[in-house]
Amino acid sequence: MIQAKRKMGLIFFPAFDWAISPTHPEREERLLYTQDQLLEEGIFDIAGIVEYKPDIASEEDVKRTHFCIPDVASVTTESHMISAGGAIKAARLVMDGEAERAFALVRPPGHHSMKAVHGNRGFCNINIEAVMIEYIREHYGQKRVAIVDTDCHHGDGTQDIYWHDPNTLYISIHQDGRTLYPGSGFLDELGGPNALGKTINIPLPPMTSPEGFLYALDNAVLPILDMFKPDIIVNSAGQDNHYTDPITNMNFSAQGYAILNDRLNPHIAVLEGGYSIQGALPYVNLGIVLAMAGVDYSGVVEPDFNEGAIRQEKSVGQYIEKICSQAVENYRTYAKKPSKNKSSGERGVRQKNIYYDTDGIREKQMESVMVCNDCAGVLYIETVSSINPLSVGIEIPLGACNRCRDEGLRMLKDARQSGKFAHIKLINRRDREYLDY
Amino acid sequence: MWLGLDVGGTHTDAVIVNEGGVVSSVKVATDHHNLINSIKAAFTKLLEKNNHTNIARINLSTTLSTNAIVEGKTEKVGVIVSSGPGINPAFFSCGEQYHVIDGSIDHRGKEVKTLNAEELQRAVEACQKNGVKVFAAVSKFSTRNPSHEEHISDACTGADFITMGHRLSGNLGFPRRIATSYFNSAVWRLFNSFADAVEKNLADLHVKSPVHILKADGGTLPLSEARHLPVESILSGPAASVMGISALCNISADAVALDIGGTTTDISLYADGEPLVEPHGISLGALPTLVRSLATRSIGIGGDSAIRLSDGALRVGPERIGPSMAEGGSVPTLLDALNFAGNAHHGDTVMSKIGIEKLAQEAGITPQKLTSDAIALAVKKITDAVDSLLKEINDKPVYTIHEMLEGKVITPKALYVMGGPAHAFAPLMEKAFRLPVIVPEHYLVANAIGAALARTTFDLTLLADTERQKLIVPNIGINETCDRNYALEKAKKDARSYLMSHLKKMGIAIQEHDAQIVEESSFNMVGGFYTTGKNIRVRCQVKPAVEVHLHSGGGR
Ligand SMILES: [Zn+2]
Ligand SMILES: [Zn+2]
Repeated sequence: MIQAKRKMGLIFFPAFDWAISPTHPEREERLLYTQDQLLEEGIFDIAGIVEYKPDIASEEDVKRTHFCIPDVASVTTESHMISAGGAIKAARLVMDGEAERAFALVRPPGHHSMKAVHGNRGFCNINIEAVMIEYIREHYGQKRVAIVDTDCHHGDGTQDIYWHDPNTLYISIHQDGRTLYPGSGFLDELGGPNALGKTINIPLPPMTSPEGFLYALDNAVLPILDMFKPDIIVNSAGQDNHYTDPITNMNFSAQGYAILNDRLNPHIAVLEGGYSIQGALPYVNLGIVLAMAGVDYSGVVEPDFNEGAIRQEKSVGQYIEKICSQAVENYRTYAKKPSKNKSSGERGVRQKNIYYDTDGIREKQMESVMVCNDCAGVLYIETVSSINPLSVGIEIPLGACNRCRDEGLRMLKDARQSGKFAHIKLINRRDREYLDY
Repeated sequence: MWLGLDVGGTHTDAVIVNEGGVVSSVKVATDHHNLINSIKAAFTKLLEKNNHTNIARINLSTTLSTNAIVEGKTEKVGVIVSSGPGINPAFFSCGEQYHVIDGSIDHRGKEVKTLNAEELQRAVEACQKNGVKVFAAVSKFSTRNPSHEEHISDACTGADFITMGHRLSGNLGFPRRIATSYFNSAVWRLFNSFADAVEKNLADLHVKSPVHILKADGGTLPLSEARHLPVESILSGPAASVMGISALCNISADAVALDIGGTTTDISLYADGEPLVEPHGISLGALPTLVRSLATRSIGIGGDSAIRLSDGALRVGPERIGPSMAEGGSVPTLLDALNFAGNAHHGDTVMSKIGIEKLAQEAGITPQKLTSDAIALAVKKITDAVDSLLKEINDKPVYTIHEMLEGKVITPKALYVMGGPAHAFAPLMEKAFRLPVIVPEHYLVANAIGAALARTTFDLTLLADTERQKLIVPNIGINETCDRNYALEKAKKDARSYLMSHLKKMGIAIQEHDAQIVEESSFNMVGGFYTTGKNIRVRCQVKPAVEVHLHSGGGR
């Protein structure tokens, strides 16, 4: 019998009775062959790997993180609450010391879901990692968390949610946004005025091979993590960088994913995308599980793997070197000190147009944050979409200073008096109040 | 009438049962060095008292294979596996002749790489040179495509017996398949000579009734079938007791059963009155297998559990140093404590008193405190074990939203206690579990009654891949084509009829409703953005059940 080096919790929830639509990539069949592979390999019989049932996230778990317009029930189904609950379970296992590492192998995914939610974009409704991280902070204290997103698509939702949070480092490695949905995630997207440098994007060119991914890991991700010194590392373990993925153009491999996970050594991994359900997922997931448990994964290879066929061009490697050194430089330059562009009490304002591809919703946002030296700053988002009238969300962040809290409550009062808004949402993390008007 | 025989650790029990209840029962000492002698003695004693012309079936629960494996007294096996990519198959090595051959099959059953004929030839030759006569042929995903196993099997020329992994179970689990195939071949010769002896013995007694062996899932298998599936006979002991409780008590709700023996207590669960099955298979020692079993757990607490002081702390079990002092032992046991406390009146209670008082004196506490602490500790070990089994079953992962939201939770409504000290424990358990406790009548031979009344069980998995137009039922050797329109309803019907005709071949007739569909799924397979076929999976079983319920029991 095989003994895992690290005690590992595996939350496997394939949601075999849920699909966006019958032929959608996010359908019942998605984790079927992964389950077959894990069962056949005897993963669940490895001493030290324990399978757990997911939790079901509560409405409060979602309201702590998102402004759901008009409400949580309208933008989620049970599947989303179980998927987020799977991530929460993974976090609880690690935080309670029941496991050293945990992998939430769940669907549907979440990293395209932003702070305000009107529906489904990029197959995501609620951001399962963010719901999980805020659960951790609510119950285990305000930890420094690093999210390393290795999905092929830029995790624009996670970036949006943590744009202003100086205690969360978001690093995304993905296919260059000029060539793939959602079209964002460039080097110069670095975070809001209170959290500059805490968002780091590493856009890789199409056809990057394992060599390029591991170069980016060793030469950008790991050095930046060393500087940030997180309490917890979370891997958004999307698997659509795989050379067989039908909706992307990268050349990563199962062995590469396993090595990446091994070197990154995240406390918690959460499945994101990955739609080569027969050729990639069974092997990539096997590799990640073994790497997290500290079991030899060197035999994990796709049946059709051909190293020569996916080798990257020399120019691709050179380009990646440039991107990586720029990313590290960005962190060094910006993350160390507070923004000099604006002074405390001023507002940082963003206008956003957001498209929900799955549901065909268009949203317009005006977001402003209080520049603050003492906390993440009170956040204010006015949002209107093709399905919801003008609404507003106000967030008093975790550990808010008195000024930002008072300002948040004042904004709430004004919003209620104005009569302009169909829905008013308050997230008051300091006093644990999540209110709807 | 049915005859049941259960070979236990100390005694071999045999009973004849009819619809009205126990007709006759005998108990003989188990001779571990010669089980067939014990069986012969029990048969002879039982049959000389009874007319055996109308015995419908004889069911044997024997420890033969289990003991041989646990004691390492098995035959050398040539284990030849093909694995392909994944976990290093060297981890699953068993026996002295373990060979890994290049070649692989994927999760859909597609051959990715053909078997390396040269390597295979070398492996077979190495086995032959070492005098190997029995083999196990195992490949990864052989339940999706058995061709590599068949190929390996064909290469093992001159073998006396070959186990092919896919014929053991339709379940996935390559390491389990290797271990189970290995065990099956390792005990094959031993089991067959045992079967020969049993048959000869019965012939000598002029008994013509069909003989079955009891399996760990509480069902039976005809001896003729067990000859090539001897691994199915392992660990059937607890199942005999569980089926005994089923026969003796009218269980209709969720319940817990405890079989408290000399050294161990076996715990089992019932869901809505039916014994709970462990779907993945039982572990033998630390090795998980594909042998289906009931969900039972065993803990080291029983009437003979020694009570000792170690570093000032009181310990009860798991060791058994000898029988209780009431029965002539030298160390006080849990039974002596129960005697002293007045819960039991077994054997020489004066000796119990002497032993307990001496130990209490050494510990510097009153004998009353010693016994109440020891009993409380034993009760706590049992309640903790029951709680953890219940938690494990109720927390068992599920894979659909429906099950996640509507899944069954087992909440015991009653506790059934049997075994030697059953009556002594009953009031203690009633208090500890806050549940009504029932000690069935005939509880001392419940195991043999369970063996007698157990019915044949069977389980198969049908897989159809309409894109590849393949249909397979691995454990009964069905491997054919299906058309592109093959659908779930047809698959369910086919699974039932495959199961029924397989049982019919073994001489067992069942009603159609006894062939239960326990799992069914049909996944649309999509390539690009179009449906390319269906992946259909159906599991059909005959669940463990008893021939008749003997409802005379239920008294305290
Ligand atoms: Zn993706
Ligand atoms: Zn502030």
